[in-house]
Parts: sequence; structure tokens; C-alpha cells
Amino acid sequence: MSELAIRRGAAPALAVEGLGYSYPHAAHAALEDVSLEVAPGEFVLLAGRSASGKSTLLKAACGLVPHFHGGEIEGEVRVGALDAIATGPGELAAAVGYLAQDPETQVVSTTVAAEIELPLELRGDEPGDRARAVEEVALALAIPHLLERTVDTLSGGELQRVALAAALVTRPRLILLDEPTSQLDPVAGDELIWLLRRLNEEWGVAVLLAEHRLERCLAAADRVVAMEGGRISFDGAPADFLAWAQDADPALETPAARLFSLAGIEPLPVGVRDARQTLRRPGISHPPRQASRRVRDPRPTDPASTPVLSARGIWVELDRGEDLRDVLKGIDLTIGPGERVALMGRNGAGKSTLLRTAAGLHEPVAGKLEVGSVALLTQTPGDYLVRERVGDELPGDEGLAALRVVGLEHALDADPRDLSGGERQRLAVAIALAGRMEGDQLPGLVALDEPTRGMDRARKDDLVDLIARLAGQGALVADGSTNSTHDAAVVVATHDVEFAAAFAARVVLLGDGVVIADGPAEEILSGGWYFATEVARVLDLPGVVTPEQGAAALGETR
Amino acid sequence: MKSPFAYQPRPGPLQSASPGAAVAYLGAIVAVAFLYSSPVVLVAAGVAAILAGLLAGARRAVRVALKMGLALALLIVVVNALVVSRGETVLARLGGWPLLGQVDITFEAIVAGLSGGLRAAVAMVAAAVYSACVDPDRVLRLLRPLAGRSALTATLVSRMVPVAAADAARLRDASRLRGPGAAPVGKAPLARRLLAGSLDRAVDVAATLELRGYSLDATRARNRRARSRYDRRFYAVAGIVLVAAIAGKALGADDFQTYPEVEVGLGPATLALSALVALSGLAPLKRRATRRTTADGTKTALPNRKSSRWQEMAGRRGVARV
Repeated sequence: MSELAIRRGAAPALAVEGLGYSYPHAAHAALEDVSLEVAPGEFVLLAGRSASGKSTLLKAACGLVPHFHGGEIEGEVRVGALDAIATGPGELAAAVGYLAQDPETQVVSTTVAAEIELPLELRGDEPGDRARAVEEVALALAIPHLLERTVDTLSGGELQRVALAAALVTRPRLILLDEPTSQLDPVAGDELIWLLRRLNEEWGVAVLLAEHRLERCLAAADRVVAMEGGRISFDGAPADFLAWAQDADPALETPAARLFSLAGIEPLPVGVRDARQTLRRPGISHPPRQASRRVRDPRPTDPASTPVLSARGIWVELDRGEDLRDVLKGIDLTIGPGERVALMGRNGAGKSTLLRTAAGLHEPVAGKLEVGSVALLTQTPGDYLVRERVGDELPGDEGLAALRVVGLEHALDADPRDLSGGERQRLAVAIALAGRMEGDQLPGLVALDEPTRGMDRARKDDLVDLIARLAGQGALVADGSTNSTHDAAVVVATHDVEFAAAFAARVVLLGDGVVIADGPAEEILSGGWYFATEVARVLDLPGVVTPEQGAAALGETR
Repeated sequence: MKSPFAYQPRPGPLQSASPGAAVAYLGAIVAVAFLYSSPVVLVAAGVAAILAGLLAGARRAVRVALKMGLALALLIVVVNALVVSRGETVLARLGGWPLLGQVDITFEAIVAGLSGGLRAAVAMVAAAVYSACVDPDRVLRLLRPLAGRSALTATLVSRMVPVAAADAARLRDASRLRGPGAAPVGKAPLARRLLAGSLDRAVDVAATLELRGYSLDATRARNRRARSRYDRRFYAVAGIVLVAAIAGKALGADDFQTYPEVEVGLGPATLALSALVALSGLAPLKRRATRRTTADGTKTALPNRKSSRWQEMAGRRGVARV
């Protein structure tokens, strides 16, 4: 009998029975007839598109629903021996920890040590017990070196770990996580998943993790629960989930599973290791490395074309609190018309600073920057929406032209708050574009900073279409004086390698303020560990990064 | 950008001291500023506050507070000079002004304003040093048993203010990035948006507090007595400064008069008190360890940078010094 089966015999860490819930004044129920059990020590992945009910289910399991949000609830939720509907989140805190998407709003103290200690202090624990618990959880999460730091000096990944430590310090038997890696770079995201697996294996903490990037965590999960329209649509093993998603909801397929299904290989793999093992089986021939195609350099070779951005040795220094720090260190970069460029690199590498400098928000302290009109969408599209009617945000012909470009001309009278997340983002793009266009032609450079945070696959696909459409529109070139038109270049700063592989022809990889790699997307995204797609990690073939390319490469050898 | 007054953990004595000791020490300097009007003593208190900040590593906080304090001092001098016409040394007669009536600028009013301005500047620098060097979490933990809800409100404010400042900066950037064809963003819509965002964040933070167990009716947690080996030093310096200030006041060390003529006393009591107050700024000085105790209990001298340099210099000159 497996250990998991033994654990399954014990009282479940979480038991949900016939749960239905509606937020106050909501037209539709957020959850309908949800029944679910999480065994002690089990790692369960919660999959589903945006607004499918994942977050609400997690909030019900930690008591925020209905105690904090109100609304109408029916059914039963038990966390260990506690009734989560009758008991408030405070009482449940000892039995369940909760980690949300945005680490910024999950810390309330000034220093890390005080933040982690707060739940114990509020519970009335003795000072000695608190000191030990803080030390233990800091060691478990590898953050003892952060204890004396102030929370405003931490990176997103560090802050997320601190929030996790505060959620775990009471030693709950269940931890709920709502897209905890959505704001992290691939390195920090993978580290967090690895950490969860270790907590799960070594300390027996049951994990219920809601996540969009399934390829990141499917291999770590014991079980997958998929949700759709507030109901559970699938509950089973990861391999069975992939077979189910193939027919029921292809947007939930992982890239490796899609590669296998396109190539007609069974069974579908739950992770890179699994996929490689399957490919080593007799009867399946893995293409040799040299069989890969030559990758064409996407940069324009026409010397007559005027670049839309030309940076030569630019340095940018920013005030980071105590001292000025060089964030960009002599960047050389040229982007031509019509290019689709992914700007990648870990948090703090200088991606956003480069885009903000191009848009005129920062002034280089050295070097030469030549750039025409730039429309930049920052990381929070909501910041652009300040009025209650789309038409009031974008008045006149210029506004209408911008709305047409993003396909929102029908929504003139809508309230931006009533639009979907994707539509709000497109509206923000239109606001950045308005007045920078020549008729229906876009400005020279359209820049998007981390546009896929918290997005599901379907919305990312929509964004890929939008980028392709933007890159196909005419634009004013850098020396606007010539008034000649070219295609617009689109530059997207992103951590999402799969998204980069889907839209970009070229990838520029930044590391600590310098360009460390610049080349065709297929080449850059197949030549590393972290900044490589799942298909690239499975096949390890230069130039093969998407499931379609992978299936073609496998097909050549079969 | 991080506020210059934000707390920054550093390994200095002032940061290591318990909040009570740090407050007593900086409070004593501020108390001198409010007890005395003599510019000599006020300058000494200012020197003490600046020294304390610099030795504690809060250079940026001191610099910014000094700039703000001196600007405020200048404002007080100007306002006092315009509003108060007392004093015998008239420097300028500016005639009749609406609301103010006859305005005569006198040397005495300027000096009186300078005294008030210096007092404000000292208080500002001391407050900046407190803010940059004293861990607010430890202060709030100290206050929590006395006023739990107020302490928590203060915690939230101290957390939400920098978050709101970051939100405001982001919204300003977004308004600058709007295309010229989009409706311009006035201050009112921006403020509304900032308020709405802050409320959303406040709701999220409130949810976090709920999850941390804020609503629990737990018995008040006992706190460790936050002790430091520097506490006695700061309490002692605070005590000495306060006792000397009170005694000096009784002995006429605050010998300063502005009207009808300026008279600044420079008697021994004033000078001694000023020297003592200025020297109190050295309290956060970290003493270098000069001896190391080995495992067997023997004590050996530690090489320090100064003596090494001396030895190096002595060696170059061909003189052996130990």
C-alpha cells in the first residue's frame, strides 16, 4: 500500500461537499455543486481558464468566502476537523495557509522577521515558541538571510517566499496557493514549485495549487482537478488529465503533451523527464541534434530600412533608495520595422527600464538613443483606465482609429470595468496608441511590458493574434521627418517562454543590464535551461521550440 | 524610489538599541531644543542630532531632513520678520501692508525667528534619524499591549503609505504614456483612480490580516524584552543630557533675549551645556573591539586598520613601532 493510500485513509486535509456560492450582487454563481477531497500530504493542481472558479474555491477553503466577501453559500467545507463555513479565517489559520497572486498585498509589517512572527503573536504564542517557529520556517524556505531585511527591499520572488513563510509559520496541514508564480520570472517560479514539492514530501503539507502555467507544475502534482464555469469538470491523475484536456479543453494542454499528441505518441507526458523517457522507448526515434534546421535570422538585412529603435551604448541609472544604481549598462540594440521581439531576462535584468527609456520615462546618462513615436503599455493596464466610458477615454476620430486597431470600436459606450480582462488590456493599448497613429498606421514601436501576467492560454492566444495584427500595420519611422511608412515593430518584455515562442521572431535576453543574447527566437529559446520552452527541453534540438516544430522534427525521423 | 526616511536595518548601536532607549536618547535632544531658546544651545542640539544620524548611517535621511528643516527655518524667519515689528534695530521700513499693517523688519525679529526655526530644524532632523534608524515593528510591538488596535492601524498606515506612493508614481507614468489623442487625465480622475486602487489594496491587506488571525480574541502575547548591549549607553546619555539641561536652565544657561535688543549669553554654563549636548551626538559611535578572547581564555590584541597603517608608515620610514 502506497504512503499516499495510507494517508488517504486518514481524515482529509480538505473536504468539500456540494458547495455552491454566489458573490454579493452577482448575476451568476461562482461555484456550483463542487465536491472535492484533498488527502493529507497530497499535492493537487487546480486547473482551469480564468473565471472558472479556482480562486473562489481556494477562498472558500480558507474561510475568506463567505466570511470576508459575503454572498450566499451552500454545502459543506471542512478543513481537517474544522467547519470552514462556521469558522472564520482567523481560527482556520492554524489549519490552512493561503497565498495569493500579488505578494505586495500579503505583507503588513516592515521587516521580514516581524511579518513571519505576526500570526503567532496574534495567536498569543509565547516569545520562545515564536522565535523557534520563525527560525524553523525561515530555514525550511531558505530565507534566514532575509529575516533582518525590510520588506520593501525584497524582489517579487523573495516577497512571495516571505508571504509563504507567514502562511506556513503556524504549521498548517494544508496550503492553498492562487497562481503564486504568475508575477515571478522562470527561475523564481520554478524555485517556488520545487519548494512546494519539498514541503509536501518532507513535511507532509497538503498542497492545493491553482496555476495557469501547467507545464511548470504538472510533474509535481499527485492529482489534477479541472474547473469550468464554477464546476469540477475533471478530477484524476495528471496523465489522465492530459488525455482528457486533449479533447475537452485543448487550451489546458501542456506544450509537451501537445507535441506528443501532434506526433501521435502515447502516453502523453506530464513533464520533461517523462517525455524524454517515452522518447527513449524502442520504436520511437528521437531526431539527432544535427538534424535540426538552420534558423533564419529575423533581423532585417535591408540596409536601406531605417530602424524604429537604435540604441548605442546607453546607460541608465535609477535611484533604488539608498544609492543610484546602473540598471542599463551600455545597451546596443537595433530594432527594425515589422519586427516582433521578445525582451527576456530575470527580474531586475533591465527589461522594463529599457522599454521605459525608449518611451521617454527615463533619460539615458550616456550613449545615444534614436527612437520615433513609442506606444508603451506598462505592467498594469488598469492604470490607463480612469473614466467610466470607453468613448470618454478615447474621444474623436483619433480615439476611434485606435479602438479599430484593437478591435474595440463596438464598445464605445461600455464601462471599462464591464469589459473582460483581455478587452481592458486592448483598451489600454488603444489609449497608448491614440494620436500616435498616422490614419490607421501605428507608431514606429509598440511596446508591451509583461502583458501575460495571470492570463490563461486562451487569452494569451488572443494576445498573440493582436501582436501579429499590430506588427502588420504601417508606422512612422524613427526619423519622423521623412514621413515614410513601414510596418510597426512590437517589443514585448516577458518572462513567459511559451508565449515568447508563440509570438516572437527574435529574442533579446538581458542579464543585469546588458544584452547577453540576441537572435532568432527558435535559437535563443532552444539553447538554455530556464529560458527554453518545454518542447525545447524535451527534444533538445536547436531551433525547435514549439509543439508544431517538434512534431515536424519527430515526423521527419519516423 | 524608497523614501529617505524609511527604516533601514543597519548593524549600528542606535539600530540595535531597544526602541525605548533610542526614543529616550533622541527625545532628550529634542527636549533640549524645546527647553532652550539660545541659538548656541540650539545649534549644539542640531549638531548632536546630525552627528547621531551620520554615525548611525542615516546620511541620506539627515541630508534631506536638514534641507527641509533649513527651508522651514527660513520660512519661520521670514514670517516672524514680517509679522513681528518689535525690536529696536530696524533694518527696513516696508510701509503699510494689507492685513499686516505697518511692517518694520527688525534685527531682533529675525533672530527670534531664527531661534524658532532652529528649534524646528533640530526636531525634524531628530525625527528623521528616528524614522530611519528605529525599527517600527519593534515600536509597535511595544505599543501593542497598550493599544492593540491603534498599533495595528499604525502598522497598516506605515505599510500602505509607501504602497500608495508607488501606485501614484505608476498612475503618473501611465498618464504620461497616454497617446496625444486620448482624453487627458486631470488631477481629479487620477486622484479618484488612486483612491479606488488604494481601497482595493486595503481590502486585500485586510484579507491578509484576517488570514493571519487578526480577528482572533487571543490572550495578549507576551513579548521578549528587546534588550541590547547599547541600551544602557543611550539611557545614560539621555539622562545626563536631560539633567544637565534642567540644571542649566536653573543656572541661567538659556541666557538669551530677543526684545527689545538681542542679547546672547555666552557664560560658562551655556558653553558647558552646549558642549555636552553636542558631544551627546557621539553616543551612536561604535567602538571597535581592540581585544579578542581566544578559546582558552587568553586575550590578544586585534589588528586594526589605523594601527596597521601606522605600522606600515613606520616600516617605510625604517622605524619599528609596536
